Amino acid sequence: MFVTGLLQWDVIDIRWEYFRIIQATHIIVSIVVSIFIMIPFVNYHVYQHVMIDKRGSKNGWFFGAVLLLITISGFYLFLVGNRGGDTYGSYSFYIHLYGSFLLLFLLFFHTRKPKMYYLVPILLALTIFNSSPMQAGETKLSSLKIEGNLSKYHEQDWTNSAKCKSCHSEIFNQWADSNHKNLVESNPYYMVMEGLAGEVEGDDFREWCMSCHNPSAVTTGQKKTGHRMDENLMSNSLFEKGAKTLVDDFKTHEKPRLEEGVACVTCHRITKAESKGDASYTLDLRNRERYVFEDSKSNVGQWLGEKFINSNPDIHKKSYSNELYKKSSYCASCHDETSPLTGKKVVSTFKEWEKSPYNDPKNPEEHKDCIDCHMTYLKDGKFAPLRGTSTDGGKIKKDVKVHYFSGSNHFLSGLKSKEHEEQTVQLLRTSAKLDVEMKDNQLLVGVKNVGAGHHLPTGVADFRELWLDITLKDSDGKVVLSSGKLKDDGNLGEDARPFMKVFGDKDGKPVGLLFWRYETLLSDTRIPAGERRVESYDIQGSEELKYPLSVVVKLNFRIYPQWVTDAVQKTNIQLPSPGVIELNKIEKSFQKK
Amino acid sequence: MPRIIFLAAVWTIVTMIILLMLPNLLPDRKLLTYNDDELRKGALSKGMLPVPKDYSGLLKIKDNSEKLLTIEKIALGKELYFDTNLSKNGDISCATCHVISKDKKHHDSPLVNGLNDSSNSKVDCISCHLRDESGTERFSASVGEDGKEHPFHLNTQTILNSSLAKYLTWSGEVNSVEEQAGLSMQSPFKMAITPAEVEARLKKDSKYIKMFNDAFKDETASANDTVSFENTTKAIGAYVRTLLTRGAYDRFLDGNNSAISPEAKRGLTSFINLGCKGCHTGMSVGGQVIQRFPLKDFFIVEALGFSTPFISSSDVFPFENIGGYLGKDNEHLFRIPILRNVTKTSPYFHNGSVSNIREVVAIMGKHQLGLYLSETQIDEIVEFLKTLEGDVVDYSSDKQ
Repeated sequence: MFVTGLLQWDVIDIRWEYFRIIQATHIIVSIVVSIFIMIPFVNYHVYQHVMIDKRGSKNGWFFGAVLLLITISGFYLFLVGNRGGDTYGSYSFYIHLYGSFLLLFLLFFHTRKPKMYYLVPILLALTIFNSSPMQAGETKLSSLKIEGNLSKYHEQDWTNSAKCKSCHSEIFNQWADSNHKNLVESNPYYMVMEGLAGEVEGDDFREWCMSCHNPSAVTTGQKKTGHRMDENLMSNSLFEKGAKTLVDDFKTHEKPRLEEGVACVTCHRITKAESKGDASYTLDLRNRERYVFEDSKSNVGQWLGEKFINSNPDIHKKSYSNELYKKSSYCASCHDETSPLTGKKVVSTFKEWEKSPYNDPKNPEEHKDCIDCHMTYLKDGKFAPLRGTSTDGGKIKKDVKVHYFSGSNHFLSGLKSKEHEEQTVQLLRTSAKLDVEMKDNQLLVGVKNVGAGHHLPTGVADFRELWLDITLKDSDGKVVLSSGKLKDDGNLGEDARPFMKVFGDKDGKPVGLLFWRYETLLSDTRIPAGERRVESYDIQGSEELKYPLSVVVKLNFRIYPQWVTDAVQKTNIQLPSPGVIELNKIEKSFQKK
Repeated sequence: MPRIIFLAAVWTIVTMIILLMLPNLLPDRKLLTYNDDELRKGALSKGMLPVPKDYSGLLKIKDNSEKLLTIEKIALGKELYFDTNLSKNGDISCATCHVISKDKKHHDSPLVNGLNDSSNSKVDCISCHLRDESGTERFSASVGEDGKEHPFHLNTQTILNSSLAKYLTWSGEVNSVEEQAGLSMQSPFKMAITPAEVEARLKKDSKYIKMFNDAFKDETASANDTVSFENTTKAIGAYVRTLLTRGAYDRFLDGNNSAISPEAKRGLTSFINLGCKGCHTGMSVGGQVIQRFPLKDFFIVEALGFSTPFISSSDVFPFENIGGYLGKDNEHLFRIPILRNVTKTSPYFHNGSVSNIREVVAIMGKHQLGLYLSETQIDEIVEFLKTLEGDVVDYSSDKQ
């Protein structure tokens, strides 16, 4: 028991495949031995020598006390764990570790018969284990790679995210309503686009979409994305909070349906990221440090597996975190897209950031990576790093990296959770500043990208609407100039000047929904990081106007144009239309000069 | 005494380690393997036959005859199969639940067409699923006229290859596709129409009068009587008898060794050796027997907490007992489902409670065979089931 315990000490740093067996052996054997052998023996022994022989030994009593402490601390480590949040866990650990040396010493002292060679066969037995080498394999149409000599994964390799919930409930709930989780079947826009891509370009083309959106399906050899049914209806995951279906399915079914979207293990088991976009990452799901019973299907096994992790969580933590995960180059493996048909860059968020002033590694004060804005908690419109824990009962951290993944899509996550919507809207509102002035019968409106480390808007910028809504009135309240209003059908008026890029196909016609056919850039009015764009509007007949003039300028944002939503609503009647978000507003009045 | 503690501890540790290492130490058990020809021979000898490629082969199938399958009857049946006028409100046809496409052209771009069609505000499931050619709408309970769900929450079984089955429907109380065509039209929670109404409606259509006359003139005494409910079911039956599918599995049985993967071959071996073929047999790979489900009771093992593969609202079935259906005569007797195209027809079991086919295979192994199948065995069997997918054979070319 002493040796198996000692081998788990991080000073010794043995290989994982030995460690996990030793950990399980140590815990199970200790429980069995202490309950069935040790406690009865100690009782008997003490009874014999103290009650009958009447000759208590001082070192015996001391030995017994230490043994009791070790047993209690051991049971504490097993049942509650050493999770870092409570001091009892750490006390138990130190008592259990250092107490054991003392105990061994006392044992030899008490018995005067050190028999160390009994431990030899254990060490010998341990050397029989072996391990397998690792090589790299590849899949097509996307850059996604799988670590090891494998062409695809098995469904069972994709540890269900619902499993992570039992210890990381807060992070799980943030992720559950985020756009990273709801990237596939609960995102009706995606389902229409993948369906269209498959129909127009052939079903094989779906792999391009799926390798970032649905890596679990693509790596297990599925050729298309399916959707869940709730009895006879399409599963209403649009408004579902906390990934309820996923959690219920995991509880009810022995082999739950493969989960959609970016699961916990997708991001947390990436070993390499090439920053080239189009899923240029390498996954390693197999060579994980799995504790004994971690993947057990039975209740008892699952319970034991969790206890084993909690009693020694360091290795668990190491196997799911990586310094790489903090870098922008990691996010770049999906947040850049190149059309495989035309070779043109469809999305270049990472490239935009690379050239922006936010990419300044020499100046740590100025340098900002993706997670510094997109995984940092916001409060009252400002970044307010969240103090809290990422594991239930774990250590308090100064800046928990929140998993809301706030970006620009306030809409889909907002259908599920107001908290998510608020986080995203707050982030959006930090991005731009407005200014307005009048000069030579012209209204000049300046928009400066002050907060985004990439173009504004970025991402699928042909599907994002960012525009100026302007109302200029004279002193009678008569509208002199108006721009950027919505039409009755919900589409943006023709006079509006949205900041966006418009894709054309090889003949120079707008691509519409089929954005992967982008070959010629018809227009690009996005605002790069740190830059200011001035829009000028002519004022008609300004000589006769009744001053003072008052102007209201709003910077509006909408996640999808109405015509895109119209198409998607045809397939999903429950989908509401996304609203317009006012990012910034400025009011000013002008006197006659 | 301390020596005893040491000994006990050491021996417990050593035993524990040996036990945990056992899977690594023991050599893999050598299971019986067959070469491709032996496997084919074995399958064929168990009655697992390929679907015929041509019309003459089609006629050799039991119950089929040249008189039953004339080109006129098939053409009429096809017309009737897709006609929504055969239901009470004129909303649904046979093809509404047993989804197949009338014309392969409809496959091309239903989603693009649906999105561009300004006359329709909705793009329905068919837009994506017509291309599946599964012969079912894949709901967990069938939906009939007036949106009525099946009272026992039974789902639609695929119509493809159904004529090869000896028994039809979940309870297996129907014996021919003609009989079932008549029952489905009359059933209040399906097409909900009376035979008299069918005849009256068809007699109003000169197109049908001509088609019925062409198809049944030799069988009916007077030309006025050809449009009858019985002949309607006969014509639909004739068309359904041509809805047979062929796929990789049939090509393998025909003698093409490379038609299915080695994994699928191991799956087929398990399918035969473990006993699945005992019930899922014949050309249709199922539909020939009525059997009890669940057969084996594993209740005690589950109650002890060693294995909790599912939570059922009662212990009647190893899955949720939605609808409360208990099979034929409430005796847990079910017609063995046809496994051809099974991978295209989720959700599974009579009430559609399970959606993952791997789970279905595990349940069937456990409750019908009393075997806990390994993950590899399940994978291989699923790989074999995938080879049962097929396309509807076009028998029209060599008929003419």
